[in-house]
Amino acid sequence: MSSNMIMLKSSDGASFEIEEAAARKSKIIANMIEVECVDEDKAIPLQNVTGNILALVIEYCNKHIVDDDDDVATEEASEEEEEAKKKKVDDWEAEFMNSMSLETMFELLLAANYLNIKSLIDLVCQTIANNIKDKTPEEVRKIFSIENDFTPEEEEEIRKENAWAFG
Amino acid sequence: MSSPEKKTKPPTKQSPESNPNPSLPNDLVVSCLARVSRLHYPTLSLVSKTFQSLIASPDLYKTRSLLNRTESCLYVCLEFLSDPNPRWFTLFQKPNQTLTKEKSSGYALIPISIPNSPHVQYDRGLVAVGSNIYAIGGTIENADSSSVSILDCRTHMWHEAPSMWMKRNQPAANVLDGKIYVAGGFKDFDDSNWMEVFDLKTQTWELAKRCKSRVFKSTVLEGEIYTFGGKVVAYKPKEDRWEAVPVGKYLRLDVGWGLICNCVIDNVLYCYNHSVAGIQHYNSGIRCWIDLKGLEGLPKFAGSCNVKLVDYGGKMAIFWNTCLPSSSYKSKSIWCAVISLEKSKTKEIWGKIEWLDVVLTVPHTSKFVAALAAIL
Repeated sequence: MSSNMIMLKSSDGASFEIEEAAARKSKIIANMIEVECVDEDKAIPLQNVTGNILALVIEYCNKHIVDDDDDVATEEASEEEEEAKKKKVDDWEAEFMNSMSLETMFELLLAANYLNIKSLIDLVCQTIANNIKDKTPEEVRKIFSIENDFTPEEEEEIRKENAWAFG
Repeated sequence: MSSPEKKTKPPTKQSPESNPNPSLPNDLVVSCLARVSRLHYPTLSLVSKTFQSLIASPDLYKTRSLLNRTESCLYVCLEFLSDPNPRWFTLFQKPNQTLTKEKSSGYALIPISIPNSPHVQYDRGLVAVGSNIYAIGGTIENADSSSVSILDCRTHMWHEAPSMWMKRNQPAANVLDGKIYVAGGFKDFDDSNWMEVFDLKTQTWELAKRCKSRVFKSTVLEGEIYTFGGKVVAYKPKEDRWEAVPVGKYLRLDVGWGLICNCVIDNVLYCYNHSVAGIQHYNSGIRCWIDLKGLEGLPKFAGSCNVKLVDYGGKMAIFWNTCLPSSSYKSKSIWCAVISLEKSKTKEIWGKIEWLDVVLTVPHTSKFVAALAAIL
């Protein structure tokens, strides 16, 4: 495997070296590489991603580039092996998401969205979904940093309608 | 230059004093909401006006289907003496159920607010097709109607669909291969009564063959429309042909059928039979009804009980009611049970009760019209 390295630079000035294959997980970076607007000596500036979040993105991409290579090598792997491998990835992803705060998770989602890394968007959205599915409206507002914008009258109306259901 | 490994990881736990989480653009909120079961949507729509409108947006449902996250959602229609319009409810799950270790399953029927009502309200034939519920025919001011209305379960809005050729009151309706088959719904049988077929793609009604018998009820079994009304007659859509099902072959299927509620799940016909007070399935191989096993946890339903069975995404949802003596019999409880079904190696079908609970308490005079499952 070619180990063409490219450089990424975060909004707060931290530089990261990453294998091109890993960086290509980001459709934005892959496009930049395609149209050859990547100067080998110059880091790609990522205006919307801070260093600590970019570190997580790179950790994710590095992990998954290995998995993608495995896919090619073990195309005829048995079902059991496939399952074991999938479980390994799932376990890693669960551990990865578990290690971060909700605040970091939201920043990571914004970064994944900006860099267009679909599988990472999926992973973070699923984790947030798992987080909100059993919560009260008040708890969900806190998680999403949302103000309750129902007027007191509307809220009263909603409470009346739902009192028996939520009581 | 620093490598990712050397970087210090962000703080692993959120302190209570931490900054608010960054806010997400709506498309990412939709992407999160799409992955949450619809059982939680009534709660989530109380978060804010934005959430409320996102939860009723076509985008959300498009995302759910792109992500393969569509699921069966239960809808129940009830009539109340105090209300001129039938009311619709959907099953939802109250929040924080995993935290409280109470007995309650947390499931409840919640009324949905529908801003508009169809012109015709009563005695309609009801079928669910994807995310829509079709209300077909019915009565208005004692006159039968040919009108057809659609409840869009994404937006909870009614709109009108093309009318049928004929006026029908409580017709029997079934969905098969992208078409709705409507038969019966006439006071008197005469052989000029046609079955009508609605093509969901072209949104047009066509007359099929004349019915050979009166029709009170119908069901889809093995690609045919079985109609019941004294005689059992099957319509074969591919051949556009009616065929009488010999009496005795489908033992008891047509006896007291009006009292028996039924549903078809994975091509197996189930019914609740008051005379044996149990749920049975029809084994077409040996042509007889067999008790569904594994339901010892279900209470015995009272004789006056209104039992409804629904195909709930391959599981069976059962609704029934019990009197509430504590209310001096002025109220009744509506119960729901969800049962997963499994075929054993010997082709016996076993049910496993996933949960059962009271999902709604209503005045004793209210009427349970129908329970349906839409795909959303």
